[in-house]
This record gives sequence, structure tokens and C-alpha cells, in this order.
Amino acid sequence: MSIVTTSAGQAEGGALERGGASGLADVVETVLDKGVVIDAQVTVGVVGIPLVEINARVVVASIETYLKFAEMTDRLDITPKEGGGLSGLVGDVTGAARQVTSGLGQTVGEAGGAVRELGGTAGELGRTAAGTVNEATGRRPERPRRRRDEGR
Amino acid sequence: MAEETGLFIYGIVPSDVEPTPDAEGVGSPAGEVVAIRYDDLAALVSEVGLEEPMGRPADLTAYETLLDGTAAVAPVLPVRFGTVVTGPDAVEDLLAAHRDEFAAALAELEDRLQYTVHGRFDERAMLGGFLAENPDAAALAQQVRGRPEAESREQRIRLGEMISQGVELRREAENAALIDALTPYAVAHVARPPSSELDAVNVAFLVAGDAEEDFIRTVEDFAEQRRELIRMRLLGPLAAYDFVGAHQLAE
Repeated sequence: MSIVTTSAGQAEGGALERGGASGLADVVETVLDKGVVIDAQVTVGVVGIPLVEINARVVVASIETYLKFAEMTDRLDITPKEGGGLSGLVGDVTGAARQVTSGLGQTVGEAGGAVRELGGTAGELGRTAAGTVNEATGRRPERPRRRRDEGR
Repeated sequence: MAEETGLFIYGIVPSDVEPTPDAEGVGSPAGEVVAIRYDDLAALVSEVGLEEPMGRPADLTAYETLLDGTAAVAPVLPVRFGTVVTGPDAVEDLLAAHRDEFAAALAELEDRLQYTVHGRFDERAMLGGFLAENPDAAALAQQVRGRPEAESREQRIRLGEMISQGVELRREAENAALIDALTPYAVAHVARPPSSELDAVNVAFLVAGDAEEDFIRTVEDFAEQRRELIRMRLLGPLAAYDFVGAHQLAE
């Protein structure tokens, strides 16, 4: 039925990145709090099991977000063309490095800028590592078959 | 093996679905996935220890891999991650009690798959563009630039709020444009909440098999038109996680 390959990556030069959910963040966002809920109150035999707590919700309008945005403007002109920013290390596959000239002054507290960059890098590395571990353990088993398909 | 076990339920499928012997379930070691049948329905399940904490990255990945793989060959209703019952009898009871709802929901998903379109604004393109169009914000940005947060906090919050509102407006516009562009090729859509402050679009679409090619081509065009501003990703085909819900079991 499916005509689409699920291999990660994108067509040569294309702007769209393709693939199944890869990396833990995608998986969490795709599956958590979804699906049919079977209510233990109505259905006999449902067992409570210990679930590892995962909080996928992000609040996008908060003081913290505001400060983060302000900090982004700090590094607008100083981020190196490649490898910087939010998505550098996780693989910004959209290809060409993009640069935006904001027209703002270049004066920047260099020490402050450097510290921020380091912080960002550490965060990205952490996330990349998590993704890698995940991929290492997440082997893709063969898909279930459908009996009907064989007769089609 | 004195530990008590239960059955972890992945999803509900038509009874002709057969897990392959190497399908790996949740848990460590990975449980063997089997189908428990009732009438024309089946539940995909695997045995888990009741004391074992569930929800490690490998568990979530196994759950999704199994459901997405199943969705590629047959309709499947994902059951919420973490649903465990006492044993085969409880699974049969569950299928029997909700047989008609499950069957109807599966019929709706026949030959339909979910795709999630997710896009994230390029930080520099988004902010650069915003500041270029908003002189007040640009002036504020220049004032706080390089100054420690402690002494520019008020201004930073004001600047950040302006940007946040700008991003929000842009996000709404981009989501609307995406839904507009894809509505002809999708059976249904669900807007998903943004997963980061730089989220540009995040929408799940239910797509019929014969519309898949057009759908994907349209997403590609959408991405191409925005390649400088948005990093676009297409996740899928997936099981229809966003198109089944609690309401389906409402008594």
C-alpha cells in the first residue's frame, strides 16, 4: 500500500526533510498522550504499571521564552555561518548555510557571547547523544504481515 | 521468573493481521508481539513484567516502530502507551465490549495513514526578518545587545515578548497556509501544539492512499517556497495517532 520509502534524509537539493520519527524527541512527540484510552474504571483487567515520567509539553509563551528570544537577537550577527544556532549540530539538512544581516551594530560583549555559544553547544551535544543511543537500541523489526495481502 | 506479568497492548487491528516472528515489543529483553483475536478484531500485545518501569526511550521506539509498521499494511488503532491488562481474557473482554466502536474506527482508517508536517523557523532568518520589519524591536535589541541579563532584564522581556508575538502571528499564518494547501489531499487534519518556541508549523494529516503522492508533492512545494525561513520535515507514514482519541471509548 505504501509507496513511500521511510528512509531518513531528503531528496537531493530538496527543502523537505523526510523520514519516520527519528530521535527521542520525535518519538515522544508523536506517540505520547495519543491513542485509544482504555478506562480502568469501566474495563476490568486493566493494570496500573510504573511509567517513566516524560514531560513533552513546552510552554511557548513565558518570561523564559521572552528572555530566550532576546538572547537570540544577541547572537544574530556573531553566530558563525555554519554549525551554530539551534539546529547546527543536530543536522540542519536544509543545505545551504543562511546568513541574515540584521543591520544592527556589531558591538557585542565577547565573553558573554562566547559563554552563550558554549552553553548552546553543550545542550545540542546532549540531545544528539540521546538520539544516537536511541537509534542504537531502536532496531527496526520487520513489519507485521497481513494475511489478506498475500491473497491480493 | 517469579515476577508478575501482564499484557502490554499496542493497538487494535483487523483479525487478519499477523505479527512477524521478529517483531519486537517493549521491555528488556524485548517482548514477543502476538495477536489476540476476538471475532474480526485483534489486539497486538506482548508480555511485560508489572514491576518493570515502562517508558524508556527503547520502549517508546519499539511501540512506535510496531504501530507504524503495522499501519503500512493494515488499519490500526493505537492504544495509549502504557496500557497493560492482566491477561488474554482481559484482552478478549475488552475487544468484545467495544467491538462495534473498534470495527467502525478501523473501517475509517482503511487505506489511510497519518503524516505529520513539522517545521521550525530558522532562528536567524526569523529574527532578522522580524527586526527588519519592526524598528521599535530593532532599537530595543540594539539597547540590550551584549549587556548582562541582570541589568537589561526588563527590556529583554519586552523585546522577547514582541518577538514572541511576531513569531506567534507568523506561526498562525504558516499553519493556516499549510492546512489550506493540503486540504485537497487530506481526509482530516489536527493542528498540534508547538513543540518549541521556534515552531513554524505542526499539523497531523490523515491521508488516503490514492492521494499520498499529491500530498507529498504539495508539502515539498510548500517547503521549497520557504526554504530560507523554515526547516520543514515530513514524518510518516505513521499510525493514525492523532486521529483516534479518548472519545472513542466514551460510554
